[in-house]
Amino acid sequence: MSELALDVQGVTKRFGGLVAVSEVSLQVRAKEIFSVIGPNGAGKTTFFNLLTGIYKPDSGRVVFFGQDITGRSPDWVARNGIGRTFQNIRLFKAMTVLENVLVGHHTHTQQSYFDVLLHTPRFHASERKAKARAMELLAYMNLDRRAEELASALSYGEQRRLEIARALALEPRLLFLDEPAAGMNEQETEDLKTRVRRLRDELGLTIVLIEHDMAMVMSISDRIAVLEYGSKIAEGLPHEVRSNPRVIEAYLGKGAAGQAGGTHAPA
Amino acid sequence: MTLGDLVAILPQTVLEGLLLGFVYAMVALGYTMVYGVLGLINFAHSEVFMIGAVIGLEVFRFWGNPAAPVIANPFLLLLVALLFAAVGSGFMAVLVERFAYRPLRKRGSKNILVPMITAIGVSFLLQDLTRIYAALRHNEFNMQYRTYEALNQVFELPFQTTIQMKGVLIIAVSVLMLIGLTYLVNRTKLGKAIRAVSQDMQTAALMGINPDVIISRTFLIGGALGGVAGVLFGLLYTNITPYSGVLPGLKAFTSAVLGGIGNIPGAMVGGLILGQLETLSGTYLPFLTNGNFGTEYKDVFAFLTLVLLLLFRPQGIFGQNVSEKV
Repeated sequence: MSELALDVQGVTKRFGGLVAVSEVSLQVRAKEIFSVIGPNGAGKTTFFNLLTGIYKPDSGRVVFFGQDITGRSPDWVARNGIGRTFQNIRLFKAMTVLENVLVGHHTHTQQSYFDVLLHTPRFHASERKAKARAMELLAYMNLDRRAEELASALSYGEQRRLEIARALALEPRLLFLDEPAAGMNEQETEDLKTRVRRLRDELGLTIVLIEHDMAMVMSISDRIAVLEYGSKIAEGLPHEVRSNPRVIEAYLGKGAAGQAGGTHAPA
Repeated sequence: MTLGDLVAILPQTVLEGLLLGFVYAMVALGYTMVYGVLGLINFAHSEVFMIGAVIGLEVFRFWGNPAAPVIANPFLLLLVALLFAAVGSGFMAVLVERFAYRPLRKRGSKNILVPMITAIGVSFLLQDLTRIYAALRHNEFNMQYRTYEALNQVFELPFQTTIQMKGVLIIAVSVLMLIGLTYLVNRTKLGKAIRAVSQDMQTAALMGINPDVIISRTFLIGGALGGVAGVLFGLLYTNITPYSGVLPGLKAFTSAVLGGIGNIPGAMVGGLILGQLETLSGTYLPFLTNGNFGTEYKDVFAFLTLVLLLLFRPQGIFGQNVSEKV
């Protein structure tokens, strides 16, 4: 068994009386494509927010490549190897496509006040390097020709790709994708699947995604965890999860488990 | 006065409005940048500006005593005063953020009125601390800038216009600062981070940017601009009191709203417009009303214009009409 990328141990988050995430434990191996699925309101995005530092868990631990990152701030987590995209796209809309990626590259750009004021060779070198890397990532996401346009001018699918490019600029080891295929047509989803696989195969990234498109989840994931009402109700290989009666019940309601063979996508 | 006379004094009026406008523009930037990153009207900024004026004044007093000057060249003296005021006011702004605003933010209070009231409190506090300082050091709170012949030297311009050396310097320094800021915001890593935090603080954090650091830097830059503007204001008006920040601060804030609060070019343009409104109304109001309304009504006229403008364009000149997310 390969190295553990993410080791989540009994993480719980309450909002007032509501337990949004309850005692969730799971392990993601390095270079795995791991999906988290579940009905609407199951706590998937809250779970992501707990892992990226937006919320602090009330109890439990999050270990990332052997390092305890529980309760670290979002910017610390981002600087230390976790990139993410958002369910509702959150690009810097008043910036150009290139600038969005450069912001992602922020921590890897070395510039002191001194360099900026005096335009030292180091300043020019750092600007050039950051820009070259950003263009590389845009090319990787097939957006390089639109680098100078405003992010808000991109189509929906392009904006989703730009979010991935921006997250990649952090040079992360693990990428969280929150519903990357939402609103995409079949063609775009196919294209996305290829890109996500390439991220893992070519860049060696570990990928954790939340997704509602079951066809995509089933075909792309190495393993899948299922959340319902904040608790993990199943985990395993795609075919195991698909035929798990509790999962079918969670999606289709009680009594459905007997009828639905589980071959068709619960939506 | 004949119509010809009124036209003849127009260029001089516009020029004076320009000087004032540049000062407002630099102060307005401090309001607009802080609003950009925090959504907060930093009422203490007018005092950061005033403290810059006091720091500049003290530099002139300490090192510019005509009897025994440490720095004899008034231009060099001005440069030193500007540097000290920029650093002093910048750090003052950072301290205010660190000890008054940040603790509130960390408590997660969503009510924007709370930091706003704190800002007003800090504003009064800084006024009174300066009053105590002025009383102890100068025995009164009117503080006079030293004047230097070299800075008061008058140049003749076309159209019967004149400008003093200090006016030339005010324009030069302001233009340099405004260009520098534009460059910083649009071209550098720090500028990108400031814009990112302005647009979406949480997403910026998830891109590895520490919002606390960027907010602190924003206060530093805004404060430094305010401090420089304070010295220029002191040169222009020579008399400084602990309350000298209040009215210019209010006008600069108004300029920021006029340009579209949160918008950097907007603050610059807003400041320049307000400077014109004020001097034009100050010069022409008495003539146009047969002396019934004197120059002292210039602020009333300037703000009346503002009220009318905002009625038709509430988001300001460069502001975007932001619709609430449903």
